[in-house]
Amino acid sequence: MSALAASTSTIQSSSIQTRSAAPATATSRSPKSVFFTQGESRLQLRVAMATKEETKARTMFDWRAQAGDHAEGSASAVAEKVKSTLFKAIPGSSAPSLVKRTYKVTVVGVGNVGMACAQTILTQDLCDEIALVDVVADKLKGEMLDLKHAAAFLPRATILADTDYKVTEGSDICIVTAGARQREGESRLALVEKNVALFKKIIPQLVKYSPETTLLIISNPVDALTYVALKLSGLPPNRVIGSGTNLDSSRFRWLLADHLDVNAQNVHGYIVGEHGDSSVPLWSTVSIGGVPLIGYLKQNNIDYSTGTLKELHRMVVDGAYEVIKLKGYTSWAIGYSVASLVKSVLRDQRRIHPVSVCAQGFHGIEDEVYLSLPAEIGRAGIIGVMDSPLTDEEREQLQKSAKTLSDIQQKLDI
Amino acid sequence: MASVAVSAGTTPPLIHGRRIGGSSATAVTRVPAASVRCGVKSAFLGQELRLRDMAAMQGDTKPKMVFDWRAETTEHAPGSAFDVTQTVASKLFKAIPGSSIREELVRRTLKVTVVGVGNVGMACAQTILTQDLCDELALVDVVEEKLKGEMLDLQHAAAFLPRAKILADTDYKVTAGSDICVVSAGARQREGESRLALVEKNVSLFKKIIPQLVKYSPDTTLLIISNPVDALTYVAYKLSGLPPNRVIGSGTNLDSSRFRWLLADRLDVNAQNVHGYIVGEHGDSSVPLWSSVAVGGVPLIAYLKQNHIDYSPDTLAELHRLVVDGAYEVIKLKGYTSWAIGYSVASLVKSLLRDQRRIHPVSVCAQGFHGIEDEVYLSLPAEIGRAGILGVMDSPLTDEEREQLHKSAKTLAEIQKKLDI
Repeated sequence: MSALAASTSTIQSSSIQTRSAAPATATSRSPKSVFFTQGESRLQLRVAMATKEETKARTMFDWRAQAGDHAEGSASAVAEKVKSTLFKAIPGSSAPSLVKRTYKVTVVGVGNVGMACAQTILTQDLCDEIALVDVVADKLKGEMLDLKHAAAFLPRATILADTDYKVTEGSDICIVTAGARQREGESRLALVEKNVALFKKIIPQLVKYSPETTLLIISNPVDALTYVALKLSGLPPNRVIGSGTNLDSSRFRWLLADHLDVNAQNVHGYIVGEHGDSSVPLWSTVSIGGVPLIGYLKQNNIDYSTGTLKELHRMVVDGAYEVIKLKGYTSWAIGYSVASLVKSVLRDQRRIHPVSVCAQGFHGIEDEVYLSLPAEIGRAGIIGVMDSPLTDEEREQLQKSAKTLSDIQQKLDI
Repeated sequence: MASVAVSAGTTPPLIHGRRIGGSSATAVTRVPAASVRCGVKSAFLGQELRLRDMAAMQGDTKPKMVFDWRAETTEHAPGSAFDVTQTVASKLFKAIPGSSIREELVRRTLKVTVVGVGNVGMACAQTILTQDLCDELALVDVVEEKLKGEMLDLQHAAAFLPRAKILADTDYKVTAGSDICVVSAGARQREGESRLALVEKNVSLFKKIIPQLVKYSPDTTLLIISNPVDALTYVAYKLSGLPPNRVIGSGTNLDSSRFRWLLADRLDVNAQNVHGYIVGEHGDSSVPLWSSVAVGGVPLIAYLKQNHIDYSPDTLAELHRLVVDGAYEVIKLKGYTSWAIGYSVASLVKSLLRDQRRIHPVSVCAQGFHGIEDEVYLSLPAEIGRAGILGVMDSPLTDEEREQLHKSAKTLAEIQKKLDI
């Protein structure tokens, strides 16, 4: 990350941040001027910006970036004056240390999923800056404003938006939701071709502006697309993560918890493998309040069959399709799922989530494919994949998914 | 959760008696077969057709969608998922012998109803859930599929949220015992359409909604969001028969937030340190109380004067216009507004449920305040707590501000006279 980006990200000033890609001279950092006394430096910035031709053609969502002076007595002019007098820096102040940083999250795609992620992340106060990117400028700006208007009710976060990826510069996490949504009856695998071309426009740009970022891919089919993102990004595999079966597992836990009338947070269990129809429930991991379920059924002679277990699994898989059928798409649950992952990464929570990871070398998988496995998540991304005990059948199912995904991957043009 | 079952009202019963009093019987009360339900495409695939046939036989043409799998009156084959989990549930937890659960104690959970699961209603519901403001959330709408889909989408997040019971139905009995009922249902404001033009559309809708809410939750507080909010809050007040402190309109709570954001953005300071109220009619003729505007305790207008910073009434009018235009701009750009109003409503819900006694500019019955004689709803800064509007602030107004309020009051009174309520 360039020094410029680092310095701009420490200053919680939206005016500076929209110019994070402007020439270095634009950010005046004289020893006297700091956060609040920016009257002069802002004027210099505005002049510098006005001479750039591209300001006119570019989509600009920040009123400060508009070229031109403001008439005397206009709201902007008066606000500027107040601003320059209302706060005075203590003499001798100097810019904050570059070591301390603010958290910045980018969300690519402001559809239902992207906005649910953005809004949940904001409500949970997980970052200081959030950047929204999409191709439809009006919708993008509207969503940005709608979030900004809530400023009085939220902890302060800088909310940026642009169709130009430079607005994403210096992001700690880039969440990619862009892509055609899964239609009723459409299998996730059928989406992949549509979304590869889109990713070629998105991924390299994200990495260009945030080479230290961690990518979190939500777009479906998530496993294949996370692999695509890995290849297009050139990032190490610990920093390219797919949301995978994090949500499937949540639905699984909800389902069991709802049947047992207990808090879902006391019901544990992982669904792994391919996010979708052929996901693999790890029944040996399922427990309630520390009581392993399968063991309990056996000890108490409660009859069940593999059919019973399959039925429960199927309900989880169908859950997504059911919501899509009923309301047209899913948004809230995936929003919470993503916020949970973002928190684990940004705050180095080292929690275990079933997410889509590069599974090569685990459980006898030989292909370079992305599949969900329980993994420890922290600031460095995937810290490590768990050595979960699998039954022969579970291992077989995983390997089968790996083969299917590998076949698809071979056909992709990346 | 027995508490939930009881709070749902008289029917349908959702009681699982296994944890109360040590009873080993799974006292799942069956809904009579005559009730209609629709087979839903979840666990019970084979039963879908059968249930729909049953409904047809009973002369119902449209099968009713079921929102809670427990309410289905079907036996479950041994070894089925349902059967197995029921068995586990009945064994896994045993109540301590002699336990007694007093219904009213268990029932004292906080319940919020949201009527209307469009963009605004769902933003309100989701924000309320994320902020952990209630234990039960009931969603009501007329479109069954969308309603159930939204309910499921929220339920699926259970592993990431504190536990809240999420219910949904087209039948208002699901709202029984709500502490707050948020009404977001209604035609949304279209680009270029003034809020006042919406009112007729929404009055007949409210006639179906408000009496039902009050019937099932006579002690509730109504929080009206639908536009035009002032007129519709008046309508809700009249239709509900509730005392005026318990019928509140979201009013200019959001306008004031946009105002504070606007000033804060220009001053590069946290919006929570910028104070100021916009009052009056939520919309074009809202009234900014410039004397209430302060930044970190420094009153703005006085500061401008003391520091000889020139400004004119136009300057102030421009700032106000930017606030009013803010809503229209978002509608024009993304088709509607949702997130900001969601946060605004959650903020009011929190003040109400947790008796925060914070001051919010909300739409209240303004008769008798500031010389307003008509029985109209307008936003004024008011103290909000568990009992609703605890009191309206005696804000100092300039002559001009008072005049603007009176003018709004007259306009609203004119409209109200034409309404059929």
